[in-house]
Amino acid sequence: MTDPLTLGSVTEAMNGVGTAEQVSRNRIRIKTNPGRLHKSLLLAHTILTCDHLIQISAVDNGTIFELIYHMTGPHQTVISIAVELPREKPEVMTTSGIMPASGIYERQIHDLMGIEFKGHPGLTRLILNEDWPKNEYPMRKDWKPDPGTFYGGIRGET
Amino acid sequence: MPEILLPIGPQHPALKEPVNFKIVVDGETIVRLDLDISYNHRGIEKAAEQRDFVRVVPLLARVCGICSHSHTTAFVKGIEEAMQLEVPARAQYIRTIVAELERMHSHLLWLGVAAHEIGFNTLFMWTWRDREIIQDMLEETTGNRVIYGVNEVGGVRCDLTLDLIRASFEHLQKLEDRITQYVGMVKNDETLHMRFSGVGKLSKADALKYGTVGPTARASGVDYDIRKDDSYLAYDEMPWKVVTDTHGDVFGRTLVRIGEMQESLTIVRFCLENLPEGPIAVKAPKTAPPAEVLSRYEAPRGELVHFIRTNNTDRVERLDIRTPTLANWTAVAVSLVNQNIADIPVIVAAIDPCLSCTSRITLLNGRNKKTSLMTWDELRSYSGEYYRRKRCA
Repeated sequence: MTDPLTLGSVTEAMNGVGTAEQVSRNRIRIKTNPGRLHKSLLLAHTILTCDHLIQISAVDNGTIFELIYHMTGPHQTVISIAVELPREKPEVMTTSGIMPASGIYERQIHDLMGIEFKGHPGLTRLILNEDWPKNEYPMRKDWKPDPGTFYGGIRGET
Repeated sequence: MPEILLPIGPQHPALKEPVNFKIVVDGETIVRLDLDISYNHRGIEKAAEQRDFVRVVPLLARVCGICSHSHTTAFVKGIEEAMQLEVPARAQYIRTIVAELERMHSHLLWLGVAAHEIGFNTLFMWTWRDREIIQDMLEETTGNRVIYGVNEVGGVRCDLTLDLIRASFEHLQKLEDRITQYVGMVKNDETLHMRFSGVGKLSKADALKYGTVGPTARASGVDYDIRKDDSYLAYDEMPWKVVTDTHGDVFGRTLVRIGEMQESLTIVRFCLENLPEGPIAVKAPKTAPPAEVLSRYEAPRGELVHFIRTNNTDRVERLDIRTPTLANWTAVAVSLVNQNIADIPVIVAAIDPCLSCTSRITLLNGRNKKTSLMTWDELRSYSGEYYRRKRCA
């Protein structure tokens, strides 16, 4: 275990790609935009030696989508890189090229939130069943099950 | 030889959760793997958004039957962080005790399953019998064997009496004797060596690259353990060490889990001996101020993450759960490549997947579209037969 990262060193490493903020003792949150997401993840991966992707959290707060990439490394400081995506066009480049671990998380988010990860090698269904209707994303705030739609199980039984 | 698609699963009524593997094989060698885990999605994250904190806790205990305490602890500790609540030390110690008992029973269960997959059913019966000691302890302490219902926001719901502590020490002694025996067995038993050594190799670089967590990562030399790295409950108040290994195969994963059981024994003993006096809970407010918390927890299978967003109400705005098994799948897909079909049961079982129930196999020949059906039991006996032949050859 190496020394924890400080807000100063993270700000310096990010070099204007995003704004960093210390949210708790061992967690630094960086806000950036989708265009700079790739670069900031690459910087965190190389300069800040973050070798472990903890989670990609996906949030729908009713108006926009947010993706938060949590990473850590030997320093055990959690670097959270957050981007906001517009509701009308929820698209972002895949990060599975930088960290292969993100591939399976992106498939999950695509399934439940309907966020498109461009360039993903196999953005297929993972969590929802094959009968689930297209273009219905259950983790979105405005999603409600429609009584007339078939969501899975045995047809005609429900 | 043409490549063949080999779908395994998804159902088995007797085992844990359903999963379907589509394995592409060339002869007996695995080329690649895809998986379908859609059979068990219950929408718990969505349901959690519609309940207040008090009612979410029992819901989360039902995410998983084996690590029910992990999920509730990860959640309540996240909400407590959002509320900036000071939880009494006694409550933290009791949570730690239950967490480590859970780890031990989970690892014993795993050892049994792994032994069963290689046809070593004596070991399977032994470990599952000894697991009962822990189940009894949990029942005496919490009143329940599976879903303990210990946690609430602000503390725990049951206290430990002196009689219980005394009885626990006796149970722990029995357990220690048994675990010591398993340590010797795992290190010296020829059958285990033959089926575990060199199987499902994962280098340290690959373990990091594919986001592996828990004993799977630690067996490849990655020393990440949330209990040390992002300490919670009472783990920073006692002496214990992170168990790692450099084998990087199924054998290494077995050694790590056995070692962790010994460490858990130390932790439980320390907690029982040094249990602080005082209340076991504080009254928590109804609502939580706006906050974003990443609650990390070292579950028996590895790092469990609850991402929590609160918004001044009595409900979460978002609860995003990342389970250790999801993180380990990518590594399974990698470590299966170039291995023999005979090693599928062991490699899949080695990450201790929270499902591991695959029942029937359809053999589908890609070229002439012929299909044939094989059960998981048949695959298991095929594996045994394969190694018997290999040994005689």
